Amino acid sequence: MEQNNSLPPFQGLASPQGAMTPGMPIFSPMMPYGSGLTPQPVTNTNSLSLLEEQQRQQQQQQQASAQQGGVPGGLGQTPQLYHSQTVTTTTLPGNTPLYTATPLTPMTPITPATPASESSGIVPQLQNIVSTVNLGCKLDLKTIALRARNAEYNPKRFAAVIMRIREPRTTALIFSSGKMVCTGAKSEEQSRLAARKYARVVQKLGFPAKFLDFKIQNMVGSCDVKFPIRLEGLVLTHQQFSSYEPELFPGLIYRMIKPRIVLLIFVSGKVVLTGAKVRGEIYEAFENIYPILKGFRKTT
Amino acid sequence: MLVEDYRAGDMICPECGLVVGDRVIDVGSEWRTFTNEKATKDPSRVGDAQNPLLNGGDLTTMISKGTGAASFDEFGNSKYQNRRTMSSSDRAMLNAFKEITTMADRINLPRNIIDRTNNLFKQVYEQKSLKGRANDAIASACLYIACRQEGVPRTFKEICAVSRISKKEIGRCFKLILKALETSVDLITTGDFMSRFCSNLGLPKQVQMAATYIARKAVELDLVPGRSPISVAAAAIYMASQASAEKKTQKEIGDIAGVADVTIRQSYRLIYPRAADLFPPDFKFDTPVDKLPQL
Repeated sequence: MEQNNSLPPFQGLASPQGAMTPGMPIFSPMMPYGSGLTPQPVTNTNSLSLLEEQQRQQQQQQQASAQQGGVPGGLGQTPQLYHSQTVTTTTLPGNTPLYTATPLTPMTPITPATPASESSGIVPQLQNIVSTVNLGCKLDLKTIALRARNAEYNPKRFAAVIMRIREPRTTALIFSSGKMVCTGAKSEEQSRLAARKYARVVQKLGFPAKFLDFKIQNMVGSCDVKFPIRLEGLVLTHQQFSSYEPELFPGLIYRMIKPRIVLLIFVSGKVVLTGAKVRGEIYEAFENIYPILKGFRKTT
Repeated sequence: MLVEDYRAGDMICPECGLVVGDRVIDVGSEWRTFTNEKATKDPSRVGDAQNPLLNGGDLTTMISKGTGAASFDEFGNSKYQNRRTMSSSDRAMLNAFKEITTMADRINLPRNIIDRTNNLFKQVYEQKSLKGRANDAIASACLYIACRQEGVPRTFKEICAVSRISKKEIGRCFKLILKALETSVDLITTGDFMSRFCSNLGLPKQVQMAATYIARKAVELDLVPGRSPISVAAAAIYMASQASAEKKTQKEIGDIAGVADVTIRQSYRLIYPRAADLFPPDFKFDTPVDKLPQL
């Protein structure tokens, strides 16, 4: 087993770098992950130690901030960019010729063409993360609902236990197959932490819960471009991507193809982006749409 | 130089008497027809006009229900009963066409819109991408699209009024059909609905023209950003009618337009401050601008 610190390895400790032996409890909070220079990828741990989870998050935060030069960041509440994933905030190299604003030009490119200009100073804020995890064992929802706090279960209405925790403020749907959906977190790390907390609750109730296949399914972000937008113009030029029906919904629904994100664009200038699996897609989509929206700014 | 003997149906050569054709079917008309007043029934046609575009042009015939006493047996049931399994392949489509015609009839839509709707339905039906959806929902959405494409849009609520499908479902099918047929429709404007709403309310032409002008001006001056064009149109009609002799209440206009009266109130509050600029210059005021109701 690899050692990158001076402490003698515990019996049954798994290596942080790779070969995780499933089923073995990982205990030590003192074992740092990695050398401390590169941000570690999220390891696929099966244990449910919340303490270690928080430690790991703090480690990543410190590494990220060390790289940035000491910019403070809370646990997962980074308003700045999340650097452990590759994210481009500058305009993408346009792979299409100049963007023409005439409504009759057939727009064949998939990516909306971005003219060479500086990036917007606006960063979309994440509002909601939906993630799923498999607890790996069948659950008895009735006992969970009766013994756990803040759990509701109405089998006639819906076949899952709805559980809520206060920190991070999230809601989980726990199904009898052992699968769980966690919604309401504002960042990826918070979602993971919350999912672990729910799994811990289930574990404490006596079920052999594991933490398998944690995956973020959807991320929702929102931001404000700070100027009103002419939606009628936008729907005329981007007909194949946009749908604007004031009778059905007051916002324009823009389905961007690359990255595959749906944006709700409103007259006030507020934009909601959804459908992302990673944070970078939200940022990329916003950087793609911002120059287009600037072109449809209301002049009055 | 052949001569046709119409009695036997033969084509005979008069010189040598050779019979060339035998039992040639006479395609002349069965009876004499005169162009008389009753031009609706054309006696030279023996059936309905075929619509080959839509039905696939099958030439099947069927025995109709009998008239007269002989065709009913003792209990009153008709003797010849086989009218089923006529065209099983497109029975659903024919049913939908009937439904479309019924819906369009309720709001007095002209034949061209009905034909366009039928065409759209046929395209969607053949594509099979929306096969799981209720045919009535697809038909209602096709009707909505056809009205839009013909330049006389009907609101979703008006289509809802003649269909059993909810507005939500019609809206969903509408978006799916546009995706499936890869078409798009023009954006609705306030002017599209003015003539219909005003005539339903019984407002004179002057008021209608004034309301159209007010709505257009309000959108140009961007007084009502983000409001549905229907709500803006309703508020404009309210303002125009209140300034004329034919005053209508918000409730009446809301009833006709399908908007809530609070919605009219909201939009009216947005256009009220600039009321003086919104009226057309040649408008005869029954109630001057400063006496307009302020809600």
